[in-house]
Amino acid sequence: MAFPLPRGITPPEISFLAEMEMVTILPRQRLEGLELLGGPVSPLLPPRRTSLPLWLALLLKRQRRANILPPPWLHPESLELILEIETQNDEYQHAFSPPPPLPGQPAPGDHRRAPLATPRYTPSGEKYYPAPPFLPQNTARDHIPPGEPPALPFHWLEVGTMLLEAASDDLVDPDQTRRLLKELREVRMAKVRAGVDVLDAAAMGGGGVALTGVGAMELGEGRRFIAGVVDELR
Amino acid sequence: MYLRSGPNEIAACRTSAPLPTTQSIPSIALLLRRKSSPHHPSSPPPKPKPQNIDQLTMDIDDILASVDRTADTSTPESTALDHQLLTRFWVAERAVPELLPWPTSLMERMMERVRRQIESIEDLAASSTDPITHHSAATTNLTLSILQSDLSRTQYLIRSLLRQRLSKLTAHSMHYLLLISRQQPQSQSQTDSSTPEDSIPEPPPFTDDTDDISSPLSKEEVSFLHAHQTLLAGHYGASFLNSFPPQLRRLDDNAGGTSMVQGPDGKEVVFVRCLVEEVRVVVPPGDGVEVEVEGTVLRMGEVWAVRWEGVRGAWGRGEVEVL
Repeated sequence: MAFPLPRGITPPEISFLAEMEMVTILPRQRLEGLELLGGPVSPLLPPRRTSLPLWLALLLKRQRRANILPPPWLHPESLELILEIETQNDEYQHAFSPPPPLPGQPAPGDHRRAPLATPRYTPSGEKYYPAPPFLPQNTARDHIPPGEPPALPFHWLEVGTMLLEAASDDLVDPDQTRRLLKELREVRMAKVRAGVDVLDAAAMGGGGVALTGVGAMELGEGRRFIAGVVDELR
Repeated sequence: MYLRSGPNEIAACRTSAPLPTTQSIPSIALLLRRKSSPHHPSSPPPKPKPQNIDQLTMDIDDILASVDRTADTSTPESTALDHQLLTRFWVAERAVPELLPWPTSLMERMMERVRRQIESIEDLAASSTDPITHHSAATTNLTLSILQSDLSRTQYLIRSLLRQRLSKLTAHSMHYLLLISRQQPQSQSQTDSSTPEDSIPEPPPFTDDTDDISSPLSKEEVSFLHAHQTLLAGHYGASFLNSFPPQLRRLDDNAGGTSMVQGPDGKEVVFVRCLVEEVRVVVPPGDGVEVEVEGTVLRMGEVWAVRWEGVRGAWGRGEVEVL
């Protein structure tokens, strides 16, 4: 009665979460720095780039006060490469393409470095490891180290869709980008559906099913179904 | 929908939620006292001999932690950190089957920040109608709309969190009442109950001490839960239970070894991301097995669908995040 929503965040709430992702903008007007509840926002001084939460970037973009610099993965070339990994690579026939590594995590395929997670500390002294949407996975980057494969961030579908909707004139080839996003979505949804066979592993105590690389919205769509199947199998 | 809200909503938030005013400083002091580790900043730790690298890194971690603990919680960096903590806690509370421990100090800091932000928005709105500073009306309007969007987003998080907790509390009210009363020294005098209300355990006495971190409920939630269950029991009694024989009227009947109090199901599946090098899923003792059994290993950056009870401990240590 107090709360009508089902367990697990719903798709509108996932979009809400994706709007906390940081993106890079090119301001077209000055604005002094702000102390927001979500953290400080540095002053806007054209033509200096700055990073803002997506919701604020979209607010400024809709009022034509800024341009959004698209994240490196939201580019037809990057998306083609990711689509190739998703469909052609034997290693990822039944898995999603590897997500961007967390801080301290080596790139996929790099077995020389061991992962090392470095915590921050909360005011109560508990350990805190940042994760999406609070990692700079959607900010523009000037130079990408060679050999680093493009990767879909956790909120790829939401960020991509919102940028296509509100800032398509800032993207490189919006029509091609839209088509590639749609293809990626279909390929990956097929993988979610094909993965139902292994779900009984999560029904046993101590067991689980790996979904590494899954996107937030894909998880939101599959959540009810996967949880329902596993709870039935138990 | 929830991104835009007018001053009505801001006013509503202000009246409906009791905003703590001056608690933030004492609570930090209490927190320090509670965490009375030997590395308390005011009493420098007796320097142990570093025997190996692990020991040394542990020391450094502890020192860093103690420095962070004394850190000023009014800096912009700590605002951003608290926002991230609140967001992560909200997602977890929305996703897991049981009630998570109430983050007292985090919520006190957030409510204090919300209160101050509302004040500064009101000040800014008042100054924008001031004819002297009228020249920058357009910029002020933009600033105001940004500040209000930001405020509404935070208020949405808090409201959704509180409502989700209330819904969990009312769904398993007897379970949580028994849980919090069991922590108190029980003065059990099981007399023959004559009304269903008698089976409701007394809530723990209210203390101003926030040291009691063992209860997963906030003080407000405890009083809500008790009032809710008393009303419900009275209603059950009036509508049908009082026509039963007295020994069948209890709401926590244990007859035949089966408890009729239902709790949340820890075996339900949640989705987690592993944030540290390695986390082991565990099978907690129960179902005839006495010891904790270890299961699958999660590695850094991986996302898994696992039973909530298997990763509850790792979540408490901040090693996994619930998605």
